[in-house]
Amino acid sequence: MIVRSLIGTLTATIALTSGALAADGPIDFNRDIRPILSNKCLFCHGPDEAERKADLRLDVRDDALDASKGYAAIVPGNPDESELIYRVESEDDLDVMPPPSVANPVTEEEAELLRRWVEQGAEYAVHWSYAKPERPDLPEVSDPSWPSNPIDHFILDRLHAEGLAPSPEADRATLIRRVALDLTGLPPTPEQVAEFLADPAPDAFERLVDRLLASHSYGEHQARLWLDLARYADSAGYADDPSRTIWAYRDWVIDAFNANMPFDRFTLEQMAGDLLPDPSESQLVATAFHRNTMTNSEGGTDDEEFRSAAIVDRVNTTMTVWMGTSMACAQCHTHKYDPISQVDYFRLYAILNNTADADLRDEAPLLPLFTEEQLAHKAEWEQEAASLRETLATATPELKEAQHDWERAVLAGEEPFPDAPKVPEPILEILRVDASERSDEQAKQLADHFLGVTPLLQAERSRLAELKGKLAPHTTVPIMRELAGDDRRTTRVQLRGNYLDLGEEVAPGVPESFHPLPDGAAPDRLSLARWLVADENPLTARVVANRCWEQVFGQGLVPTGEEFGSQGEPPTHPELLDWLATELVRTGWDLKAFFKLLVTSSTYRQSSRVDPDLLERDPANIFLARGPRFRLSAEMIRDQALFVSGLLSPQMHGPPVNPPRPATGLNAAFGSAIDRETSTGQNRYRRGLYTEWRRTNPYPSMTTFDAPNREVCTVRRERTNTPLQALVTLNDPVYVEAAQALARRMVREGGETADDRIRRGFQLCLARDPSEAEREHLLALVEDARLAFSGDPEAALAMATDPLGPLPEGAAPDELAAWTVVANVLLNLDEMVLKR
Amino acid sequence: MPSRNRDLRPLAARETLRAVTRRHFFRDCGVGLGKIALASMLAGGARAIGSDVPAFDVTNPLSPRPPHFAPKAKRVIYLFMAGAPSQLDLFDPKPTLAEYDGQPVPAEVVKDQRYAFIRPDASLMAPRFRFSRHGESGAELSEMLPHLAKVVDDIAIVRSVHTDQFNHAPAQIFMNSGSPLPGRPCMGSWVTYGIGSEAEDLPGFVVLSSGSGISGGAANWSSGFLPTSYEGVVFRSQGDAILNVSSPPGFDDQLQRDSLDLIRTLNDRQLGRVGDPEIASRIASYEMAYRMQSSAPELMDLSGESQDTLDLYGVTPGKASFANNCLLARRMIERGVRFVNLYHEGWDHHSDVEGGLRSQCGQTDQASAALVLDLKRRGLLEDTLIVWGGEFGRTPMVESNATLGRSLGRDHHPQAFTMWFAGGGVKPGLTLGATDDLGFHVVDRPVHVHDVQATILHLLGLDHERLTFRTQGRDFRLTDVHGHVVEELLA
Repeated sequence: MIVRSLIGTLTATIALTSGALAADGPIDFNRDIRPILSNKCLFCHGPDEAERKADLRLDVRDDALDASKGYAAIVPGNPDESELIYRVESEDDLDVMPPPSVANPVTEEEAELLRRWVEQGAEYAVHWSYAKPERPDLPEVSDPSWPSNPIDHFILDRLHAEGLAPSPEADRATLIRRVALDLTGLPPTPEQVAEFLADPAPDAFERLVDRLLASHSYGEHQARLWLDLARYADSAGYADDPSRTIWAYRDWVIDAFNANMPFDRFTLEQMAGDLLPDPSESQLVATAFHRNTMTNSEGGTDDEEFRSAAIVDRVNTTMTVWMGTSMACAQCHTHKYDPISQVDYFRLYAILNNTADADLRDEAPLLPLFTEEQLAHKAEWEQEAASLRETLATATPELKEAQHDWERAVLAGEEPFPDAPKVPEPILEILRVDASERSDEQAKQLADHFLGVTPLLQAERSRLAELKGKLAPHTTVPIMRELAGDDRRTTRVQLRGNYLDLGEEVAPGVPESFHPLPDGAAPDRLSLARWLVADENPLTARVVANRCWEQVFGQGLVPTGEEFGSQGEPPTHPELLDWLATELVRTGWDLKAFFKLLVTSSTYRQSSRVDPDLLERDPANIFLARGPRFRLSAEMIRDQALFVSGLLSPQMHGPPVNPPRPATGLNAAFGSAIDRETSTGQNRYRRGLYTEWRRTNPYPSMTTFDAPNREVCTVRRERTNTPLQALVTLNDPVYVEAAQALARRMVREGGETADDRIRRGFQLCLARDPSEAEREHLLALVEDARLAFSGDPEAALAMATDPLGPLPEGAAPDELAAWTVVANVLLNLDEMVLKR
Repeated sequence: MPSRNRDLRPLAARETLRAVTRRHFFRDCGVGLGKIALASMLAGGARAIGSDVPAFDVTNPLSPRPPHFAPKAKRVIYLFMAGAPSQLDLFDPKPTLAEYDGQPVPAEVVKDQRYAFIRPDASLMAPRFRFSRHGESGAELSEMLPHLAKVVDDIAIVRSVHTDQFNHAPAQIFMNSGSPLPGRPCMGSWVTYGIGSEAEDLPGFVVLSSGSGISGGAANWSSGFLPTSYEGVVFRSQGDAILNVSSPPGFDDQLQRDSLDLIRTLNDRQLGRVGDPEIASRIASYEMAYRMQSSAPELMDLSGESQDTLDLYGVTPGKASFANNCLLARRMIERGVRFVNLYHEGWDHHSDVEGGLRSQCGQTDQASAALVLDLKRRGLLEDTLIVWGGEFGRTPMVESNATLGRSLGRDHHPQAFTMWFAGGGVKPGLTLGATDDLGFHVVDRPVHVHDVQATILHLLGLDHERLTFRTQGRDFRLTDVHGHVVEELLA
């Protein structure tokens, strides 16, 4: 729900500025001054030369202090001599800055902050996120018994400062559902809940976390989140949006998370697996990360235009995913707030501009992939095929004689091999030439033709065809392949971002205001990848740590996870963020260990209950005086419904599937139908991340729950609350089917009494028993429903079986129809679609 | 953005909180849980302009809110002619083009221009149809638009629209979202984000489609980085009008109501236990969903329309068509829908532009004109804006290509095309702008796509420079950093 995040913004703002406002304390440039300069001044007095007015630059201290014109914008220690202070305080419309025409005045409070800042010496500081994180000491805390790990020191310290206290630990049933959903995307089974509840060991929770991290579902869940960043889709995008075969990359991501590949390795392989020494097949598959850009195959488009668009997307995606820095502005002009020039932009572009892909419909270059069975037999099959080819090309004496017989027969007008195609005219012409008169070429053509049709070689031909099928790739995946030599492209600045309007030539490199590439490193993708995860990189570890935090706590420590630059929001807990970033690097980028750290904190394990006082104090849970509580993602909601009803298939990997989806009756732009045939069997019930992802026609119920269309990289999904979502979980056949299966399961596993069945339903769906009142409400509903259905057998049958299928033997339709109504209610409870 | 409007925000937040923590507040949700400032709409950032703050109801992001200034139009029906109709054969008569029929286009005219399929030295092709003047305004229309001719004094024709894009998908997305690449919110999303919707039982932004598929696909009604509450809801041509609006088979109304009551009761209890105001908004959205289950079928049921009305549009009840969609569009805006985007695809006449136009005009002319007439009769035209147009125009040169089997067609032409507007504060009877003698370039009053967008927002009382949303560290607009309101078009 957007309101929550907005309130978060407000609270963060209040909290972070109160320090400087409350007293005459020291001004902190990054906290107090940078936002004012960035929002009010730098558009005209910032890094962008094209927009700069009065030749004045306020983002660089030396320029702001420059007095060569006889006065200076800033005179440290002397606000009354500082032109900046005069201008922002002026009441004269002609003098005041910003000018009234832009209607963005500096407020009184802001003017006061600027004045105090100049008074105190006008010290600048590098933007917080551009300075390398330093590992802070753990704060001393008032209640040493509360913290379970270092995270809690930072959180408790802040709570104490805000006059708040943490909430008690959530009950165990709540905890297991919460942590199972967070780590695997699936709720726990009643058996897992029972096991955990019965485990008296002090490390029961820790071992539960280990079990969850070790399950295959962990990799699937993490992959789903990464695939939003990777803009993974099973179609190429743009008008025609043709299918694209790239699922091997999706499987690579799942496996990498399950194998707990360190994030730095994960980075190198995806950015530049092909440039690693002697790359493995898996490392080549990883490079499909940047082949998820769109390809435009609409007739009449210029491939170079859309190849360039793909490179632009790769630059933007790389900087967003790893460094939380939106570069898109700098494609057309030097960044107005952050020190990134247009030349910097095209330095990165130049690094990424030399791969072989070129907006081609066939998505070349492709890597063919083979199954293990194929690989085991490949050499043997290839050898056999080679020998068969030789046999098929060799005219033995026996075959020569057979050819003579065949020639005579054909000339006599017979059809010696009735199953073979008619003898083609050119061959007939050769036949009509006397054997002794035929040229060598003609003789060869004739012999080749004969060998190609004679039944004497039929067995060999069939076997060869069979081997060709066996040797064909199981699937293919588009990959990155670096161009060499003369094929390499030079890069020029694209004026105003127009690929046809080119300026100066640019050498590959990284933006100048960041740490440089190591001496002697070739400015290529591999160096770029290493640069992203280098120790000197101030951003990547923070960005990754923040994203993991957001995944678990619902909001990042930097609420604008996609933007860590000066236009983003500052961190709510800066020291904690830096501690986490350094911890992530210290542990060798071990993501499973990192998640374990997050979820075993006391902070995470708090109850999410909130009373009106706390809600008023911290509506968006910025300070974390309570546990996280927010709506599940689109995929989780569907996976959970299938899981609790027992329908979810555990099968992993493989080509995308098409679970039931409503027919649109629409065609794609150029006439091809966009409706897909529904998958059958297990493939109807696979986890959401295996659903075919078509960019122009995404799976409707996922879109309704805020899944992006994956045309571009998505860092954060909004969490909205709409009536269309209610219609999905109430009426979508997928959810109706789940309710029917859940009803059968409640009846089958619950026992004879209605009470037992209701209890089973609660355990399956919510990992807890119903309260007395809940039980009575549901009991009343099931009885009403049974009564209604007993008078209408047709409706009962439809309610219990459409679309799930025939009833189990001996089951009464009205009974199961009534329980389906109850199951439908359970699947629609707030508690069901939220993690609590 | 920590420094902005510090004075406004805590107040708004506090007000909201007071409302949401009130005991039993769920009883009156929907009628004002307090207003919260939508932070991103606080005009902000370096280009920040204005300080008025639209607010919305916590439980309903689509609740109506006042625009920036008094609007002329309260709602929009946008007839998007996807594929790009030929302006030269419908709206922009060129006798000179007829004179030069079959001759190569002068080199200086086409210097530095780009085309999708044809060569720049292709021959010119005369307009395929006769033009004549109509109405008191004397506006010129081709004989392919006999119905539009009857309402020509109620519409304003702009012959000088131009765009940056010359392929369908990017050009359509550009027209809708101000950017040729997918990922930005489209106009209907911006509008409902800005001023919400009057519809209580229907979505605020609806998409209808006829003809073949739409090149730009879902990006044309995507809410982009805006919350999905503002995404266009596609009304379907088969099955349920709104996806999943029907109860499951066998589930009768009473049972569904009982179920919903129970869901509400249990969610209420959860709210009491947990105290999270998000639960209240979920309760409200279930109530709206319930209302949609009856309002959507009612909307689609044309049995209450008179035969005269059906005949006016050319509707055959039960048959999906552009005409049917036009009539539905009227019914939607009567029920408070804010923005109806009605697509008709089929104008991409690379070959046989003459036959193609006969067919497409046959499907669309009568109903488009009927919509103007019908709204006027019902007193709805004065505050409803109708927009008609494609994503670009078509070339004065002929497209022929034996390999592709094309002859007597016209290629994509971003340099000039025609749109028309009616109602909602638009000056009726106006013909604005002009192209050169060949219809190639705009020579008078160029109107860029961003200008069209700025003007549509203006008519709705929205300043296109102030309707912003902050993401990726900056404030985004429908018109990017461009766009000027076309003052001449305003009544």
